[in-house]
Amino acid sequence: MKNHNFPYPFSAIVGQDLMKRALLLNVVNPRLGGVLIRGEKGTAKSTAVRALCGLLPEIDVAAGCPFSCDPTGADPAGDGLCAACLARAQAGTLESTRRRVRVVDLPVGATEDRVLGTLDMETTIKKGEKRFEPGILAEAHRGVLYVDEVNLLDDHIVDVLLDAAAMGVNTVEREGVSFSHPARFVLVGTMNPEEGELRPQLLDRFGLCVQVEGIADIDDRVEVVKRRAAYEENPAGFSEAWAGREREVAGRVERARALLPRVVFSDELLRLVAQIAVDMGVDGHRADLVMMKTAKTMAALDGRDAATRDDVARAAEMALPHRMRKKPFQNIGLDKTALADSMAHGGGKGLVR
Amino acid sequence: MSARPSYPFSAIVGQTRLKRALLACAVCPGIGGVLARGQKGTAKSTAARALAALLPHIEVARGCAYSCAPRGPWCPDCTKRVARGETLETDWRPARLVELPVGATEDRVAGSLDLEAAIRQGRKVFSPGLLARANRGVLYADEVNLLPDHLVDALLCAASLGENVVEREGVSFRHPARIILVGTMNPEEGEIRPQLLDRFGLCVEVTAPLDLTERMEVLRHREAYDADPAGFAAGWAKAERALARAVVEARRALPLVRLPARLARRVVELCVEANAAGHRADIVLTRTARTLAALAGREDVRQSDLDEAAELVLIHRRRTSPPPPDEHPEPRNDERPDDDQKKQHEKPPEKTAKDPDDGRGESGPADARAGDDEGDLEDAPPQDAGDADGEAQTGASPSLETIFPVGAAFRVKPIVYRKDRLVRTGSGRRTRSRTSLKSGRYVKARQDPAATDPALDATLRAAAPHQRRRRELATPDGIAQDVAIVIRKADLRGRVREKRMGHFIIFVVDASGSMGAGKRMVETKGAVLSLLLEAYQKRDKVGLVAFRGEGAEVLLSPTGSVDLAYKLLEELPTGGKTPLVHGLSLGYEILARQLRRDPTSLPVLVVISDGRANVSLAGGKPLEEARECARVIADEPRIRPLVVDVEKAGMIRFGLAERLATDMGAQYFRIEDLRARDLVAALRRDVLSTGNDSR
Repeated sequence: MKNHNFPYPFSAIVGQDLMKRALLLNVVNPRLGGVLIRGEKGTAKSTAVRALCGLLPEIDVAAGCPFSCDPTGADPAGDGLCAACLARAQAGTLESTRRRVRVVDLPVGATEDRVLGTLDMETTIKKGEKRFEPGILAEAHRGVLYVDEVNLLDDHIVDVLLDAAAMGVNTVEREGVSFSHPARFVLVGTMNPEEGELRPQLLDRFGLCVQVEGIADIDDRVEVVKRRAAYEENPAGFSEAWAGREREVAGRVERARALLPRVVFSDELLRLVAQIAVDMGVDGHRADLVMMKTAKTMAALDGRDAATRDDVARAAEMALPHRMRKKPFQNIGLDKTALADSMAHGGGKGLVR
Repeated sequence: MSARPSYPFSAIVGQTRLKRALLACAVCPGIGGVLARGQKGTAKSTAARALAALLPHIEVARGCAYSCAPRGPWCPDCTKRVARGETLETDWRPARLVELPVGATEDRVAGSLDLEAAIRQGRKVFSPGLLARANRGVLYADEVNLLPDHLVDALLCAASLGENVVEREGVSFRHPARIILVGTMNPEEGEIRPQLLDRFGLCVEVTAPLDLTERMEVLRHREAYDADPAGFAAGWAKAERALARAVVEARRALPLVRLPARLARRVVELCVEANAAGHRADIVLTRTARTLAALAGREDVRQSDLDEAAELVLIHRRRTSPPPPDEHPEPRNDERPDDDQKKQHEKPPEKTAKDPDDGRGESGPADARAGDDEGDLEDAPPQDAGDADGEAQTGASPSLETIFPVGAAFRVKPIVYRKDRLVRTGSGRRTRSRTSLKSGRYVKARQDPAATDPALDATLRAAAPHQRRRRELATPDGIAQDVAIVIRKADLRGRVREKRMGHFIIFVVDASGSMGAGKRMVETKGAVLSLLLEAYQKRDKVGLVAFRGEGAEVLLSPTGSVDLAYKLLEELPTGGKTPLVHGLSLGYEILARQLRRDPTSLPVLVVISDGRANVSLAGGKPLEEARECARVIADEPRIRPLVVDVEKAGMIRFGLAERLATDMGAQYFRIEDLRARDLVAALRRDVLSTGNDSR
């Protein structure tokens, strides 16, 4: 339990650069649509997600609001206020607090009513008043929804999750309750493909997908064990020792967030993205959108104000692998040669214009 | 409550057909809604939701929760008012687009007893549901193919009657529910039931454009919208207004649009050509063509209108298309399993089955429908594999692979477990089971102080006799001051719910060279396909494991998509050595994992093999390993195994499969005793026998 107060520092994770990068990208730009981390057991998947807590920025939330309404209304793409907050705002009693963006767990065994929210039975019976008791989706609004072993999630839970993730709104029509509230979250899932595959529809909802493998390098492996031992021996001390590095990463994220709205994405790159999507035969437009957003975020994270072809290439590597499957039972993966061909091809066309 | 404006309809790039279909429905509700089918991420949902802003105004009785039309049909309240001689005052407001979430419960869809009124005032009041809200408007179901069956039933019922009839939880109520259904679905996730499909007037297949400029435009729009939804919507407001006006004008002009006699004849011809069932297609086609003409501002329907309409109306009504086959209505009572007579009345093969000429005697005539893949199938004469049989034994030609066609499919009599007392959490449509999820039919109430799923009617009935005494006892600071009914913990009743559930069937199929002999693979594939078709309709989870060459692979992780299963089955090559133990252990692993996830499921393992094994998994003797694995399976009483012996007739019998079945504690059948159709019967018998001892 003590470890809860001191999660393993993000910067202390050895290697796994692709995964770390994918997670950071989502912290910088919550609209990327989350990340699916695939890999064997014991490859620091869960550790990395938990470690993210320390890097998440602070946001303004309405005090006591179960839906974490944004009281400032500063974000033009925000969701407005819930009914209770609206009433408070009109009465002038809306108070604001600051807190870190949360990582909310969705346990594999969660029931539908717990995920969506349900009728508060106690109030109903005692006072004869219908009241909505918010569920996990409400808690996750403006935060990170983390599903460990996402491939083991029950089918009907996946369905309701998809519904909410697609619209950014949770609409509840159950047990005499009719309610809807914004539920915009970064979906982070981890899975071990040996345990079974995900439905293509759910795969597509994850903006990015990265594959993690155990580290092969002996020195690195030794380092993993050393750090882990040090952490377990004294979590507080270990966190303290890494605090400087953590601040560094957090600062980088903070700067990237500020820079992101100003990142330029040229028409040439836009064409390149569309070309890659067509060449690689992905379904729909989501891959295009994610590639573009990821490339922009990538630039911001590196402190540049314009995206480059290299950003697009690196974005494609994360945005395409899980969208490439024509048949859901083919192995997940990306044909890198095809991608390189497409890059050359698309780039050529772009330059002609 | 979300202040975020939705993406404007007019800002959707491309997808002309989908937009036209939605607009046509907004103009003429009589068309009966749109189903958008297509890949993920192709603006299906965006377009459907954006339609809300374009729906024209309707005249409704003021304050009526059911949006009654001034001249009826009326809800009970309005009927009373009219009967009292009141004139209904009316308002004009836009027709509604009501969303039906996947997780909705039946009481919210159909409506139910009003909790607040019951507890505070002690009155029995009907609380209207989504069907009431959607009366004379659009009911939009995203992922309509994922809706639970009891919700689909409620929808179908209302859609066909134009009325919602509620008889549940002590409420008896009916009100008009004329709804336009708009649905989106991704066919990868499974098809929808034909009855539901037919309720959609129009259907559109949606794909993403391949044109680069168009795709770039999509990206630009989306990015602009994401950055500032309100600003983006404002930029498109003018276009939206123009479109809304066009809808209103078209609606006004619609009654004047005429269909020339020559084209009226063409309507019928088109529907006959498509072999569409009933007359709905003719009617919808006519309406749609007229509506498209009205949208174009013309008073006469042209050939082009009719052509465009035909694409939208007939796509899902053409009856020569592949699965799903027409469906039996679900028998309401548990069917007698041992009713053999019925079995003999089963119809010969489905029209829908792709039927290669070398199917067995019971296959239908191999006609032109057999499809374009016929050619590939012809390339694979079964004799080759027959020769490979002997060689595969010695492992001499492991590389020789043949793809056999799928044998004829046939209709399967329902496989239903006897209902037991276990409470489960699955879903599906096969066997009724108690469910702990808060969905499914409410069958009765029981005392439940925790009351996570309270049965209000039963709770109130339990509380009623004590009211006078409790009122006297109520203290001034008590909680019971402003409520009509005082409820105590002991009164609480929980709902006992029941729903149908699917099963979990894993087929472990021998695809080694020996299976090529005597077209056994053709037969086997046919049987698996038949079960798949039925399993799909019952929402069973079906998995497919094949073993051949050096190992076993999961061809199909447990899924509900029969299309994919069919494709995989069709493509499954036969050839190589026989790694039986790999297949068994993989099948077992999948089932064991399922049992860990849901200990109440009753999984079925169907092994189709001749019992030979010549590849070792752990370095031991292949046959011994297989038998050992079989004994492990026997030790798990919840798994119901079934072995089908495909050892070639006429040769010296080794009886390996029989021994394997004994080790596994499985039922055992020989393939020559079974035609493909009997394999299904065997499975049925096995499953039924498990039903008896599964409590």
